[in-house]
Amino acid sequence: MSVDGKEKRVKLTLKNISKSFYARKEIFEAVNNISIDVYENEFLVILGPGQCGKSVLLNIISGLEKPTAGEVKFPSNDEKKVGFVFQKTAVFPWKTVMQNVEFSQELKGVNKARRREQAQYLIELVGLKGFENSYPRQLSGGMKQRVGIARAYCSDPDILLMDEPFGALDAQTRYQMEEEVLRIWEKEKRTVIFVTNNIEEAVYLGDRIILLSECPASVKEIYTLEALQRPRDYVDTEFLRMRETIEKNMDLAL
Amino acid sequence: MERRKLKDICLTCISLIALVVLWVIVSNSKPDFFPTPQATWERFLKMAETPISKTTIIGHILISLKRVLTALVLAVASGIGIGLIMGWSKKMNAVLGPILTALRPIPPIAWIPLVILWFGVGEFSKVLLVFIGAFFPVVLNTATGVSMVDPMYLNVGRVYNANTFQMLCHVVMPAALPAIMAGVKIALSSGWMVVVAAEMIASKSGLGFLITRGNESYDVALVLCGMILIGLVGAILSAVFTLMERWLCPWMEKKNG
Repeated sequence: MSVDGKEKRVKLTLKNISKSFYARKEIFEAVNNISIDVYENEFLVILGPGQCGKSVLLNIISGLEKPTAGEVKFPSNDEKKVGFVFQKTAVFPWKTVMQNVEFSQELKGVNKARRREQAQYLIELVGLKGFENSYPRQLSGGMKQRVGIARAYCSDPDILLMDEPFGALDAQTRYQMEEEVLRIWEKEKRTVIFVTNNIEEAVYLGDRIILLSECPASVKEIYTLEALQRPRDYVDTEFLRMRETIEKNMDLAL
Repeated sequence: MERRKLKDICLTCISLIALVVLWVIVSNSKPDFFPTPQATWERFLKMAETPISKTTIIGHILISLKRVLTALVLAVASGIGIGLIMGWSKKMNAVLGPILTALRPIPPIAWIPLVILWFGVGEFSKVLLVFIGAFFPVVLNTATGVSMVDPMYLNVGRVYNANTFQMLCHVVMPAALPAIMAGVKIALSSGWMVVVAAEMIASKSGLGFLITRGNESYDVALVLCGMILIGLVGAILSAVFTLMERWLCPWMEKKNG
């Protein structure tokens, strides 16, 4: 694929990924033969009906789970450097905002002054200045997920994985956070893989949308949204047309 | 808010006064079996002046406390260690779990004959008995707390390549800490009960000894003094512990706050 005559750099390749589990003596197929190229600094949305194996796919990319078949390849460098924004709020309740954000750097043994500086920058970037020493219970759901995003960025990842990060938020906060995540991404460009089951969210955020089928998940369609200018408008005709196209093509979740 | 607090304090005062009034009424009917509050108070003042069995009243309290706290420190250290291993490794849980489940229902007091037979009536035996009472709640709560850590938190550690030690320090221990603290709290009250029982059976000092001494010399007021002191010190211990818990787990919601 080329833009401005330049070849896009492939950041990550999924090759024939399949995953099945044993559950109650039955083989349960979650992912079936998925192959995707992910490009540098693109915002890739993986869209699919609920419980269709999207999260499993993300876990495979992050290395949390091993695929039953196929492989995950990072062509640029062999070391995987991923940041993960988890479903709901996986921020540690026992750590302050600052301690949560600097978590990955602390594990790596980066000295305190340096990691604090970096974490401070990210805390300000996600708009939590003044809350450095607060505990998560003192924050709202949206703010907690901001902590999650800052924590993922702080590991200085090549690829940011986001697993339905706004699924637990109320609609108002969700719109706000979608805007925020784009603002942060524009400022700190990374390759983002964002999983959601929300079509509107997918069309608002994605450079490309990979539509998955129902279980076992396979690639049903790939939509390229480069024609849609950012910032996007939820009621723009082109936006609505794209939304409708995808809606017609999406499997229903049970 | 202020007014409500005042109201609560008033209610507490009323209930305490009611208790004492009840005590006065009941005790006046048979003061030989049940000394009046005044007689008990006088006995307490006398005890504060003249040592019993060569130990002052403060000395008796401190001796009981020392036995409990020594045993508690040992029980917490070993209990958390073993509980952590059991909660973390399914294999170790299979090895140790059944043994602990079988030993746990045995009341610590049932160990008294064996412990005295094996180790005599010295300090070690008493500390050991309290240890038996305090150890099990710590182990079991720690193991349960560790095994119930939300897998999502473990995944966060795994994504950022935490090694086992980091995983335990940064994720597992703090996640399990509320459960562990609850276990320690049970251990504290159970230990306090056991020390009194142990002192009643074989001792020349401690709050339990005061009760036995009162019983042997038909000094019912002394028995009552011993009981009240046990209640008071126990309540203070548990209050101190609650403060410590807040200090150790600053992220937890304060109850009734």
